[in-house]
Amino acid sequence: MKRRKRNDGPGRDGLLRASPFLLPSLIGLMIFSLLPLLISVGISLTDWNGLDSIGAPGFFREHFIGLDNYRTILTGGEFWQVLKNTGTYIVLYIPGMLVMSLMVAFLLSREHRGVLVFRVIYYLPVLTSWVAASLIWTTMLSPQYGAVNNILSLFGIKGPGWLLDPKWAMPAIVLVSIWKDMGFFGLILLSGMVDINKSYYEAASLDGAGAWTKFMRITLPLMTPAIFYVLIVSLINAFQLFPQIMIMTDGGPYGATQVMVERIYKYGFRYFRMGYAAAFSWILFVIIMTCTAIQMKAQKRWVHYDS
Amino acid sequence: MILKKKLSSTGYYVVSAVIAVISMIPFLWMISTSLKTQGAVMTIPIQWIPEEPTLQAYVDVFTTFSFARTVGNSLFIAVAYTGITLLSSSMAAFAFTKIHFRGNDPLLKVYLATMMIPTQVTMIPLFVVMNRLGLINSYSSVIMPSLFRPFAVFMLVQQMRTIPQDFLDAARIDGANTFQVFRNVALPMCKPTLATLMVTTFMESWNDYLWPLLMLTDRSKMTLPIALATLTGQYNPQYALLMAGSLISMIPIIIIYILAQRSFQYGMMAGGIKG
Amino acid sequence: MRKTRLFSLLAVVLAVAMLGSVCAFAAGEDAEEVTITYANFNASGGNEETLQKMYEAFHEEYPNITVEIETIASADYFTTMQTRVAGGTAPDCYELNIENFAAYANNGALEEITGVDLSGLDDTALSAFTVDGKQYGLPGNFSNVLLFYNKDLFDQAGVDYPTADWTQDDLQAAAEAIRALGDDIFGYYQPLTYNEFYKVAAQFGGSLLNEDKTEFTINAPENVAAAQMMADRVLVSNVQPTDVQMGGIGDWDLFMSGRLGMIPTGIWAFNTFTEGCDFDWDVAVEPGQVQKATHFFSNACVINAKSEHKDAAATWITWLTSSPKSAEIRIEAGWDLPAIKDQDTLAGYLDITPPANREAVFDSLNYLVVPPVIEDYSMMSDLIGESLSAAASGTITVQEALDQAQSQCESAINLG
Repeated sequence: MKRRKRNDGPGRDGLLRASPFLLPSLIGLMIFSLLPLLISVGISLTDWNGLDSIGAPGFFREHFIGLDNYRTILTGGEFWQVLKNTGTYIVLYIPGMLVMSLMVAFLLSREHRGVLVFRVIYYLPVLTSWVAASLIWTTMLSPQYGAVNNILSLFGIKGPGWLLDPKWAMPAIVLVSIWKDMGFFGLILLSGMVDINKSYYEAASLDGAGAWTKFMRITLPLMTPAIFYVLIVSLINAFQLFPQIMIMTDGGPYGATQVMVERIYKYGFRYFRMGYAAAFSWILFVIIMTCTAIQMKAQKRWVHYDS
Repeated sequence: MILKKKLSSTGYYVVSAVIAVISMIPFLWMISTSLKTQGAVMTIPIQWIPEEPTLQAYVDVFTTFSFARTVGNSLFIAVAYTGITLLSSSMAAFAFTKIHFRGNDPLLKVYLATMMIPTQVTMIPLFVVMNRLGLINSYSSVIMPSLFRPFAVFMLVQQMRTIPQDFLDAARIDGANTFQVFRNVALPMCKPTLATLMVTTFMESWNDYLWPLLMLTDRSKMTLPIALATLTGQYNPQYALLMAGSLISMIPIIIIYILAQRSFQYGMMAGGIKG
Repeated sequence: MRKTRLFSLLAVVLAVAMLGSVCAFAAGEDAEEVTITYANFNASGGNEETLQKMYEAFHEEYPNITVEIETIASADYFTTMQTRVAGGTAPDCYELNIENFAAYANNGALEEITGVDLSGLDDTALSAFTVDGKQYGLPGNFSNVLLFYNKDLFDQAGVDYPTADWTQDDLQAAAEAIRALGDDIFGYYQPLTYNEFYKVAAQFGGSLLNEDKTEFTINAPENVAAAQMMADRVLVSNVQPTDVQMGGIGDWDLFMSGRLGMIPTGIWAFNTFTEGCDFDWDVAVEPGQVQKATHFFSNACVINAKSEHKDAAATWITWLTSSPKSAEIRIEAGWDLPAIKDQDTLAGYLDITPPANREAVFDSLNYLVVPPVIEDYSMMSDLIGESLSAAASGTITVQEALDQAQSQCESAINLG
C-alpha cells in the first residue's frame, strides 16, 4: 500500500489536483457568466436601446457615453425611492422567512407519524408557479371578498386594502413570498438538520433536556452553516425579487412596489433604455456585494463548521 | 412524563396542520379551478367546489399540442440539466473545500458574485454569445449553462465544509486517490444536500420559460411551459386551462420530490457514522 | 471495451448529423422554393388553428412560399422579439403591437413595405403604422371599443338605452339612475388609465401631443376637463366603483355578475359575454362630448430589415392582412376583424348575435382616434398612467397629476 503525501499547504500541486474538479464549472463560468457580464459592463457605458444589432462594427464607439447612466441614476429621485421599497421588502421578508422555514424544518425533522405527508404538503407552494400562486392570492387578499379579510373580521379586525393600498401592498407581497419560499428554505435547513449526529440528542436527553432546549443548544448551533447559506442566498434573491411583483402589482399602487429588478426589466425591455438598465444593475450589484461581504465577515462570529 | 409527551405530540400536530392548510389552500384552489367552466372561475365568493365540474380543460391540454413530444423534450432537458449541475457543482465544491490551492478563496467569491447581477441584463449578451457559438435552436444552449451553477456550488461548499478532514485523510491512508475520495467519501456524505439540489434544480429547469423560449425556436423542440403559455390569450386568460396545465406539469416534480425523501433518511444514517 | 463503444456511438451520431445536413442542403437547392419565418402572439390562446388554416389557404395560392409560423404567448413575446432583433436572429416577418411598433421602426429594425397593393386596407389603421410617412407595418387584426350595457339594469332603472348620439352627460345621468338601484350596483366602469384617458381627452377636443408631435400637451385644459370628469365619477358621484369597492375582481367579471350598468370595452368581449352573462345586453357607439372618438386596437405585421426573403415576406403579410380569403377565415373564427374596406366580405360578421346592434362595430369606425404613436410610447403611457391612478385615488388633484405627468414626460422623453 502506497502512502500518499498529505498536501495541506496551498501550492502548485494543489492547483494541479484541483483543476480537473474545477474545469467543468470554470468553463461554464467563463462562457455563460463572465463573458456576458463583461459585455453588460460595456453596455452600461452606452446609450444602447436594446434593439440595434449589438454585434455591428463600431457599435461601442457610436453609443459610448461614459458614466452618464450612473450619474443620471444616482442623482435622480427614482433610484432612492426604489431602493427604499426594496429595503422595506428585505427587512420584512428575511426575518419572517427565516423563522417560518426554521419552523418548517423543525416540524419536518421530528419522527412523528405522517411526517412524509407533511413534507410533501409543505413543499407544494414551492412547486406552484408564480402565475398560479399570484392569481389565487390576489383573490384571497381582495379587501371586500377575500378569504384573508373575512377571517380577520371573525376576530373583529378590519383588514386593510392589501395589494390595492400603497401602505399594505409591500407587506402583502412579503407575506405571499414567505408562503412561497418557506418550504424551499425549510428543506435546505432540514438537510442541514438531519445531518446532526443523533448521539448528541441522546446525551442531552440523558441530561434531562426538553425538546426546546435541545433545539436551541444543539440543533441551532450545528445547523449554522445551513442557516448562513440560507441568509446569503435569500438576501441575494430578495434584492432581485421580480416575478411576484410583475404579476401581482406591476409596481403599483402608485409606485409603492417598484423595486430594483422591476425597474431594470422595464428600462431594458419596455422603455428601450438598455444601457441605463445595465448601469442600474451594476449599482444593484455593488449594493448586494457590500451586504454579502458584511455577512461573510460576520460569519466567523456565529457559524460553526466541522463539529 | 407520558402526559407531557402526549401534549407535545398534540401541539406538533396542531401547528403542523395549520401550516399544512395554509400551504394547501392555493393548491386546492388550482384543482378546483381546473375543473370549472370558464364562467365559473372568478365568482365571488370563491366557489371551492365547482358546481358543474368538467374535465374539458385536461382534454384541451392533452389535445391542443403534441403533448408526448413536448413532455419528452422537457424531460430530456431537465434530466440532463440536473445531472450536469449535480456533477459539475459537487466537483467544484469538493475542490473548493477539500483541496487547498492558491486562489481558492477569491475564486469562490467570484462564483458567489456572479449571482448578484440580475439575469435580465445579461440575457441579451448571453443570447449573442450563444448565437456566435452557433448553439441557437439546439438543446445544448439550454442544457450547457448547467455547467456553472454558483447557487449549487455554494450550497455544496457549505455542506462539504462540515465533513471532517480526518475522514478524508483516513480514506487516503487506505490508498484512495483524490477522485476516489471524492466519489466514495465526500459524495455519500452530501446525500441529503444532493437530494435537495436535485429537486430544486430539476424543478428550475422543468419550469424554465424565458430562456428556452429565446433559444429553441423550432416548434418540435418546444418545452412544456412554452406550450402551456400559448394556451392562454392576451385578453381572456383561460384559468381552467392554465391551472390544469400547471397541475399536470407539477406531477413529475412531486414524484422526484417523493423519491428524494429516501435520501433524507440516508442522510440521517450518514450523520450517524460521524460519531 | 468501453472506449470503443463510446467511439462507435460517436460515429453513429456524427453520421446521422452529416446525413441531416446533406438533406437540408438538397432541399435548399431548389431555387424556386422560399421558406420564411413568421412570429406572432395574437394567435395564442385559441387561434393557432385559425392561423394555420389561413396559411394553408395561402400556400395553395403560393406553393413556392413556405411559412414557418411560431406562436408565442403575449406575456413574453416582446422580450423575446427584442432579444432576437438585438442578437440579429429575428424572423423574416413578425407581429408587433402599437406600443412597440415605433421603437422598432425608428431603429431601422423594420423594412419599409413597398411594391404591394394596400388599397384594400382601412386607411386609419394603415396610418397608425407609418413613421415619417413611410409604411412599416400592415394592420393584421383589428378591433374597436364599444359601449356595452346591461339592458336589465336599464329597464329596472327606467332609463332609455344608449344611442349613437349620446354625450358623456347622457351617460352620467343614466349611470346615476342605475347606481341608485343598490349599494353594490354601479353605473359605469371606465378606469382612469392611460388608454381610456387619451380617448376621452379626444372626445373633449384635447390630445397628448401637439400636431407635429414635437411637444407634450398633457396638461392642456381640455385634457384636464376630461380627466376631471372621469375622476369625479369615482370620487364624487361614485357611479363608478373605487379600487376597494371593486375588491380586486376584474371589470368584465363585474359586468358579467350583473352589477354594472355600462362598460366601454373591446369587441373581443363578445364571445365571453355571450357565454358569461345571464341577462340581456347590447352595444352602442361610445358617447362623445365636443366630438366623438372611439378606440381601435390593431397589431402590425412587419418585415425584418435584415431578412433575406423580403419579397416573400411582403407577399405573405399582405395576403394575411388584406386577402378576402384570409378575411373570411378570420370572420368565421370570430378572431377580431380584418382591417379591410370591403363591406361585402364583412357582411357575414353582422349576422352573428348577440349583440343585436352589431352594426355599431362599423358605425364606430367613423370616429376612430389614432393613438399618439411615438418612439417612447410605453414610457409615456406608464408615466401618465401612474399620475392618473394617483388622481383616481384622490391623493392628488387631477390638475396636479397632469402637471406632474407633463413635466416627467418632458424630462424623460426626447421627442426630437
